[in-house]
Amino acid sequence: MGFRLKKYVIMKKRYLIGGGIILIAVVYLLYLSFGSSVSYYVTVSEFFSRSEELSETNVRVAGKVVDTSIEWDADDLELAFIITEGGRDMRIVYHGAQPSGFRGGTSILVEGKYNNEGVFRASQLILKCPSKYESIDIE
Amino acid sequence: MIETGRIALIIALPVAVFSVLASVIGARAASGRLYQNARYGILTVFGLYTLALALILYVFFTRDFSVRIVAEHASRDLPDLYILSALYADKAGSMFLWGWLISLFSVLLVFPARGNRQSIISYAIAILAVIEAFYIALVTFGVNIFAQHSSPPADGFGLNPLLQNLGMLIHPPLLYIGFAGLAVVFALVVAALISRDSGTLGNGLVRRWALFAWCTLGIGNLVGMWWSYNELGWGGYWAWDPVENAGLMPWLLGTAFLHSMAVRGRRNYLQVWSFCLIVFTFVFTLVSPFITHGGIESPLHGFYGSPFPPFILTVMIVVVIGSMVLLYVRRRDLKSEAKPAPFVSREGAFLITNIALVVLVSVIFIGTVLPRIVEVLGGAKIALDRSFFDKTCGPIMLLLVLLMGVCPLLGWGKMIWKSAGRNLIFFFLAVIVIAAAILISGIGNWYIAAVVLCGLPLFVIFREWWRGSVARHRNQGINYVGAFFSLINSNRARYGGFLAHVGIVIIALGVIVSSFYNIERTVTLDIGESMRAGKYELYYDELIFKQDNVKVSAVADILVSEHDKSVGIMRPSYAYWFSYGDFFAEVAVRTTAAEDLFVSLVWTDFDPEDRSATFRVLVNPLIVWIWTGGVFFLIGGAVAIASPDKPSSGDKG
Repeated sequence: MGFRLKKYVIMKKRYLIGGGIILIAVVYLLYLSFGSSVSYYVTVSEFFSRSEELSETNVRVAGKVVDTSIEWDADDLELAFIITEGGRDMRIVYHGAQPSGFRGGTSILVEGKYNNEGVFRASQLILKCPSKYESIDIE
Repeated sequence: MIETGRIALIIALPVAVFSVLASVIGARAASGRLYQNARYGILTVFGLYTLALALILYVFFTRDFSVRIVAEHASRDLPDLYILSALYADKAGSMFLWGWLISLFSVLLVFPARGNRQSIISYAIAILAVIEAFYIALVTFGVNIFAQHSSPPADGFGLNPLLQNLGMLIHPPLLYIGFAGLAVVFALVVAALISRDSGTLGNGLVRRWALFAWCTLGIGNLVGMWWSYNELGWGGYWAWDPVENAGLMPWLLGTAFLHSMAVRGRRNYLQVWSFCLIVFTFVFTLVSPFITHGGIESPLHGFYGSPFPPFILTVMIVVVIGSMVLLYVRRRDLKSEAKPAPFVSREGAFLITNIALVVLVSVIFIGTVLPRIVEVLGGAKIALDRSFFDKTCGPIMLLLVLLMGVCPLLGWGKMIWKSAGRNLIFFFLAVIVIAAAILISGIGNWYIAAVVLCGLPLFVIFREWWRGSVARHRNQGINYVGAFFSLINSNRARYGGFLAHVGIVIIALGVIVSSFYNIERTVTLDIGESMRAGKYELYYDELIFKQDNVKVSAVADILVSEHDKSVGIMRPSYAYWFSYGDFFAEVAVRTTAAEDLFVSLVWTDFDPEDRSATFRVLVNPLIVWIWTGGVFFLIGGAVAIASPDKPSSGDKG
């Protein structure tokens, strides 16, 4: 009995050490990289209610592309448009080509920084279509 | 008529339950007759399920738009080839196919006469029948896949053009085959524990199913990357999207399971660990539908309005708790008999590999679910960008590459280095010193060091092959090529493992180099203008408009020259699809062993007068290495599966 108990304790210790290594490694890696990779994710109206705190920091803002607002300057590769949500509008400027599927009415996530001139400079546009690969219900 | 399919599945449900009861009671009472009944039950479920599948395919082929799934995903102009894609583009359709595969695999499991393995097979098919019943319930009561459309349209909505691609035709089924195969492995391992037949855990059946499922899943993920690269037009293949992570995590856990099994087959320990790994591997196969059906938001792919996530989550929780209870009840059967091996031994290296893989999966999992958890807990909505994954996963993956180099040099259970390895230790140290020197001196960045590290396992493995072949050539008098194949044949598990490792390292090289040395340019050109990207000159020669009944497209002729020598024409296009009311780009890729030239037409006004167009041009080095590595991986897996069952089959390098 005593022998078995001892063996059990050794087993347990082994699992504790193994588990400990895994836990420490995970926590350390998270600690190393978390701060720089995390950004807030807000809607347009949420952004403006916290604009002082969020200006000049990297954020993701969700909204709908306003149909008539899209201006595309092909020569300078500059895409300007307005996104709207909760009754608030935000002007977006993005340098680069339009992502496919980009058009008025699309739900979009823009990642970038809002500057003092009232323009959001986007570094990335992410189209947010839950129905992208599945048609919307026609019923 | 389609109602017949639903009736078939509803009949299949009690038959599945009957099979569960018959096999469990049969196993407890050691009744051969009940076992036979359970077998026929499993076969009947498969027959009914197949009938339902045939009916679904039939309504797709006849474009019967009175059926919801057909109206929503197919159209008259959809090529018949993509009928299958249309089936799994649907939320119910994808689960339907997955369930059918599990049903098929259960039949493959029970059909061969197994003699003395009856007890373990009984419990395994009971578990699989429960899983089948779950899938059947989802597609009949959750979302009725056979539902009629309230007002049948004249033509269907059609299939998203991005899905009309060969890669997307085979990517989802490969994942489902992998997932369903892992369910079989899970069922076998749990059954072994229930029936107190723990010796079976390492037997050929579990190993072959595990290798088959794992290999298919790995290839499925690669095909998904290939599709993303060739079809989505962004020029990359991996974005750490939740959907992608959901396919990767069970594969990584399966990798850990296979390696822990190799140790287990050799020394009777790591039993509890192996058991937990396969439980979590199976649970993680369910993360994928949980995410795609809306449990976690993914910009890349999602089924709209699916009711499945709560059910899937419930099953995941029940499986984990149930397995842990079973583990506790049967803890005495899993006592390790052998003493743990010393740290510097092949077992030790396998153990570190296992720990590294589990850490890797934990980090990916946290990165995938954390934003959602923070949100549910009422905190702010946050997002993690891909740099999080690059920074956390990169170092662990490099460690794994390093371990692939170290492992073959170590002996089983021995503290000493194998004689073959002893002199190589200096080589190792040299490589590490060179890598460190590159880093510290600032000549290059860490990815140069990473490339150097990748050379290590390749060198070690090729050296093993070389030495083995030479020895065979000398002893048996066969020529070198013949000797090489006879070497592989002599221990298929070990050398198949080596081949798979070579594949993984080639993939790693492709990933590292293409991530850090690509050139990217976006330019708007008028006809007759040209641009430069690296050593390539691209001349925009012509834009041709074409129209058929599904789309109107603009096809650009780009004359490509390399160092002022013409190398060919590339034709990227940009099309407006009428049924979708949207634009889609079709990229053109010119592949060489060293690099890909990737041209995407991202915008044009379709104006016959002003035919200016915007192009996105990328020069991506070593992309083809990723796909080539996949071929090695596949061959390696196949060789290992073909390995006969003998004790040495655990000897995977």
